Amino acid sequence: MSNIYQPDLMTITKIIQEAPGIKTFHLKFQDENVASNFSFQTGQFGEYSAFGAGESTFCIASSPTRPDHIECCFREVGKVTTALANLTEGDTIGFRGPYGNTFPLDDWRGKNLIFIGGGIALPPLRSVIWNCLDLREQDGRFGHVSIVYGARSVQDLVYKREIEEWSQMENVTMVKTVDPGGETDDWDGHIGFVPHVLENDFKPDPENTVAIVCGPPIMIKFTFEALERLGFKQEQLVTTLENRMKCGLGKCGRCNIGSTYVCIDGPVFTATELAALPQEF
Amino acid sequence: MKTATLNKSDLGKCIDLLVQADLRVIAPRLQPRLDEDGPDSIDVLTFTEVDSGEGHQVGEGLLPLNGVKEFLFAKHEPLFAYEKRGKKIEIIPVHHEYPQTVIIGVRPCDAASIASLESVFSDANAGFEDPFFTERRSRTTFITYSCTAPDASCFCTSVNLSPDSAKGSDLHLTEIGDGRLHVEVISKAGEAVAKQLQDLLEGEGDQAAREKAGAEVSEKLTRIRDSAPIMDWLMDTANFDDEMWQRLGEKCIGCGACTFACPTCHCFDIVDENKGSKGYRVKFWDSCQFDHFTLHASGHNPRDWQYKRYRNRFNCKFKIYPEKFETPGCVGCGRCIRACPVNLDITEYMAEVAHKAANPSAMKADQDSE
Repeated sequence: MSNIYQPDLMTITKIIQEAPGIKTFHLKFQDENVASNFSFQTGQFGEYSAFGAGESTFCIASSPTRPDHIECCFREVGKVTTALANLTEGDTIGFRGPYGNTFPLDDWRGKNLIFIGGGIALPPLRSVIWNCLDLREQDGRFGHVSIVYGARSVQDLVYKREIEEWSQMENVTMVKTVDPGGETDDWDGHIGFVPHVLENDFKPDPENTVAIVCGPPIMIKFTFEALERLGFKQEQLVTTLENRMKCGLGKCGRCNIGSTYVCIDGPVFTATELAALPQEF
Repeated sequence: MKTATLNKSDLGKCIDLLVQADLRVIAPRLQPRLDEDGPDSIDVLTFTEVDSGEGHQVGEGLLPLNGVKEFLFAKHEPLFAYEKRGKKIEIIPVHHEYPQTVIIGVRPCDAASIASLESVFSDANAGFEDPFFTERRSRTTFITYSCTAPDASCFCTSVNLSPDSAKGSDLHLTEIGDGRLHVEVISKAGEAVAKQLQDLLEGEGDQAAREKAGAEVSEKLTRIRDSAPIMDWLMDTANFDDEMWQRLGEKCIGCGACTFACPTCHCFDIVDENKGSKGYRVKFWDSCQFDHFTLHASGHNPRDWQYKRYRNRFNCKFKIYPEKFETPGCVGCGRCIRACPVNLDITEYMAEVAHKAANPSAMKADQDSE
């Protein structure tokens, strides 16, 4: 009988220091059979292990349209993420997944998309942003794409090179902001919290549009409220939750919001779905 | 259904026969807790592996301290071993023994909890099968024993069970007087065990006497609560913020004793136990009552107050289990009540919810006038 708790082994092929304390890993499966059988959809997550320290839960930060390797991006904050951060290129980590549901790309056909993220919450959005941009390039299935991204300070922004790339792309509006006091002399973005910049400066039109929000729970709450004031309906709002998990398999009992397990019923939820849950997340 | 009778005085011989059939037998026995020879040592009824029927306590006392959960869902077990070799890692499977096991003397509440654990750990839950649980489960047979003397903390009749329930049983025993036991073969596994015991089993059982005995014991339960309205009341998310949670949960100290004693609590943690360049990834019992249980890396905690953690536990028993896993979350064994150092009582919550559910407008008026 197969052991659901046993990870597959992956090699770290590249490490990028995104911001202070934040790293991206490029990962490839060591076993060719595992590599050729592996597939995932955007929005799914995995359990990443630093052997000797344990496992941590992160989304898959790369797009399934770019299957050469998978990427994760994490902040060094606890025991496992510190151990992961101490690894170097060529080292081995463990991976279990992909787990959870996915962003409902089929429901978004023909619609404008706004991705809204704060801080370390860009990685889950980055997977779906590239997925949508790549699919739009292929067959034009989505309308205009906007990206609203903020961090505490300029140096805390992750994926800086991709923010530049998105800024240059046609049919993409890139809105970047940093918290007051986090700007530098040559900062050319907005200054202010994401929900505030969204509501007062960017002011997106809700018509035929879906907003995908990712961030800490408090940021999700304020961003949803701002979007609703702009005329967005709950069913136009999508988010992904990042509750603490151990197993990712619906068994360890940690990530539930009422009877909803974020690991198997989520992590992607619409605002309509969240509103029906006990408000404990 | 096949029935028979058995002399209660032959229970020790039953254990001997099962041991002789090369089965691992687990039975209640009086086992010393704490230091065996120390001044505070005390003998406590405990399910333990036995190699003979000597000293068994099947049918004696009430509930063994440990229940049967740990024999299916280990308190602590390695999932695999790993060894670091430079930049490479080798994962080494850990060999687990899953001997064919009979647990004898299981009370009906504990037996009813097995289906609940199974609904979490089997592939019926999201298609993921915990092999450690299911391997053990598939090799374990339960010989249950109707209760004769429930205590003041028992409340199985409040959660659709009874002291003589055969739910979850393979072979069920009920005292019918004169030192005789009524034996019911419930499952194929029970039939196999009955075959091992055939020299001790006689004729047919006495169904009427068995039913009479069960009804008499049910009468002895004093703690009766109406659990029927609880799930519907919990399904109304407005009640998630009811004032009751904070008021009743105020005294909870978050020790987790209720969760470790509970036969249906299934939460666990996974960590690496590392020594030098090798170690084990292990899974072990955890508790939703601990303050770091749901703590995010960012410092955010969805259950940031102890009353919210107890609210989760109560919801898990009466809403999450029945709604998500479609099995009962509470079997009324009363272990959480007996274990609690501050006398937090789950049946107090049950009574309060039943009252609120029966008097929605009155409760609303109370709150409005406050």
